[in-house]
Amino acid sequence: MDVTEYIKLVFTDYTLRTITLGTAILGAVCGMLGSFAVLRKQSLLGDAISHAALPGITIAFLITGAKDSNILLLGALLSGLVGTFWIRGIISKTHLKSDTALGLILSLFFGFGMLLLTFIQKQPNANQAGLDKYLFGQAATLVESDVWLMAIVTSICLFVLLLFWKEFKILLFDADYTKTLGFNTKFIDILITTFIVLAIVLGLQTVGVVLMSAMLLAPAAAARQWTNRLGTMVIIAALFGAFSGVFGTAISASQNNLSTGPVIVIVAGFFVLISFIFSPSRGLLFKQIRFIKNRRDLQLHKTLSFMYHIAETHEDITHPHTIKILNNFQGYTKGTLQKLADKHYVTLSDGNWSLTEEGFKTASNLYNQQNDNNE
Amino acid sequence: MSSAQIEIQLIASVVAIACAIPGTFLVLRKMAMISDAISHSILPGIVIGFFITQDLNSPLLIFLAALTGIITVVLVEYIQKTGLVKEDTAIGLVFPTLFSIGVILIAKNANDVHLDVDAVLLGELAFAPFDRLLIAGADVGPKALWVIGSILIISVILLIAFFKELKVSTFDKGLAASLGFSPAIIHYGLMGVSSITTVGAFDAVGAILVVALMIAPAATAYLLTTNLKHMLIYAICFGVFSAISGYWLAHSLDASIAGSITTMLGLLFLAVYLFAPTKGVIAVMYREKQQRTEVSLLTFLLHLRNHTEERERHVNHLNEHINWQKVRSKTVLDLALKNNMIKFDKNIVSLTEKGNNFTSQAIDYIITNEDSKIEHMKEDFFLFRG
Repeated sequence: MDVTEYIKLVFTDYTLRTITLGTAILGAVCGMLGSFAVLRKQSLLGDAISHAALPGITIAFLITGAKDSNILLLGALLSGLVGTFWIRGIISKTHLKSDTALGLILSLFFGFGMLLLTFIQKQPNANQAGLDKYLFGQAATLVESDVWLMAIVTSICLFVLLLFWKEFKILLFDADYTKTLGFNTKFIDILITTFIVLAIVLGLQTVGVVLMSAMLLAPAAAARQWTNRLGTMVIIAALFGAFSGVFGTAISASQNNLSTGPVIVIVAGFFVLISFIFSPSRGLLFKQIRFIKNRRDLQLHKTLSFMYHIAETHEDITHPHTIKILNNFQGYTKGTLQKLADKHYVTLSDGNWSLTEEGFKTASNLYNQQNDNNE
Repeated sequence: MSSAQIEIQLIASVVAIACAIPGTFLVLRKMAMISDAISHSILPGIVIGFFITQDLNSPLLIFLAALTGIITVVLVEYIQKTGLVKEDTAIGLVFPTLFSIGVILIAKNANDVHLDVDAVLLGELAFAPFDRLLIAGADVGPKALWVIGSILIISVILLIAFFKELKVSTFDKGLAASLGFSPAIIHYGLMGVSSITTVGAFDAVGAILVVALMIAPAATAYLLTTNLKHMLIYAICFGVFSAISGYWLAHSLDASIAGSITTMLGLLFLAVYLFAPTKGVIAVMYREKQQRTEVSLLTFLLHLRNHTEERERHVNHLNEHINWQKVRSKTVLDLALKNNMIKFDKNIVSLTEKGNNFTSQAIDYIITNEDSKIEHMKEDFFLFRG
């Protein structure tokens, strides 16, 4: 199946269109809210919440006895919130650290959810089949109403985000200052946390409990590498998220036996890898290049200053010296000498070098801060 | 009780002990989430190991999977070192990606592999007794028991041999390094033991329960004691108790054993979290309330000392002046009266000699912040114990 054919299929095939749209919207909203989670150093909260949502789903099912995905998601939202606030309670009231609190809530809630899930599966209720899709997610079960729900929640998120943009931003970067300005920090904090929980709960059906945290983190972590502005980061993260959804769906649709969730996560992970390596200001590649360039410049300067100290002792600064005397000097290589010659700092003539006027001037000002003509 | 039931409880208890030992150190070293990461990211290692050995209990598979666990730790540390993202983000990126790779590997080879993700993640303790280890044709017990038993013995030996080193490096990295223990070796040693335990236990109890068994007993124990040896012992006891009671809960509900054990751990933690004598939520809230009252008492005593006018010391005036609610002023007055610090004279409050001394000492303490001056007051007051 080639690309144009696939794109045509996306627009004509109901299932494929729904799934593509659903995962794209999900990726976008996760990227948006994930940016806040990453910047607030709450990256693993997503992992904990997604696991903590499981008992909510099963309890909602036990109470209603029906598999209405909206009610199940409501249950997931509630138990996710209970988990989140219990984590905060543990951190603020006891001396247990945040990692322990997260791990505790994650595993205890999930285990309790599993207990209820297996309990339900033993019940003589035909409705229960398919509850376990929330564990690993099945994008294939998305229907149009789910996508509508996602779209509505996303637009609410967007609206609230724009409405409280200033407050979110200031809370993110300087919580104490926010308090002194008279903002109700507790309210803003709860608002943003609730939306993060909401985004996670939305994704459970598609990518499942285990992989949801990556869905939240990866686009934001990738976007962080490209910009230092919050607004730009949120937009880039949303784009990364949406593209991960679309590409992930495409790859899993074109192969047999590939569930969508893991593929989306791997695509998102790929975006992160690319961003880590190729981002112009923070990326590893350019950092290494800058590092090497700086080291070369330093060597050049060292050679030049060594020459300067030799030339200083002669009345005529352009007096030629043999290249051999540079040999036991560390910064010297043929390359650096040639480079200096290219810059007209030295002239070379059969085994001898001599400083030019310009070279002498540069060398004497080398460690002078006022000379801003850096190499 | 049938022999299978006894064996299940035995396996569960041994797993609980084996997990509690590294778990205690993970909790103390603030690396609890690493155990979650390891338990997920060993999946590709297990799958690849399974392709090679076709046996879930083979030592090679355990070794490969443990290697994946260590690779996870190294990857997380590498990403963190680049400074591009924070540590928690690095953890959150690495393990879902590795887990996804594992899931896809399983899905692509679904026909040849006798392994599914549910089993890895959730485990099924109920089937563990059916997989017997045969030595020279003789049945010597369930395989899982032998696997996790040998892991337990190894970690106990390591624990006893390196207890001092572990203790020092956990509480004071700098001191450990200056004494000549390499923190890196201890760190990776602990990570290795955690990985191997996770792999050895996941088959019987599933990845999530491994995390619960590592973190929950240690965290519960940490709320009760600050002594490392006691913490280890408590953690082991909590683990074993939950393992056995969880089994019977599952038995009566006909539900997942792993889930029930986790639920028991959760209930245990909840009880300790609420009722622990000094660090439980109720104790903390009580202490905070006491401290508030005592701060009010100090303010009140200072007020009395600073004002000689009768108008300022009239009982009715206190409410409006220090702006306390009625209830609070009554508690404060009662507390002060009980300690003989004030006396009433026709609704006019004045300090007794004891109250006067106390106030001077308190001021001294607030100004100089020297502990020695208030040693004897600690008996009566929470405030100065902080």
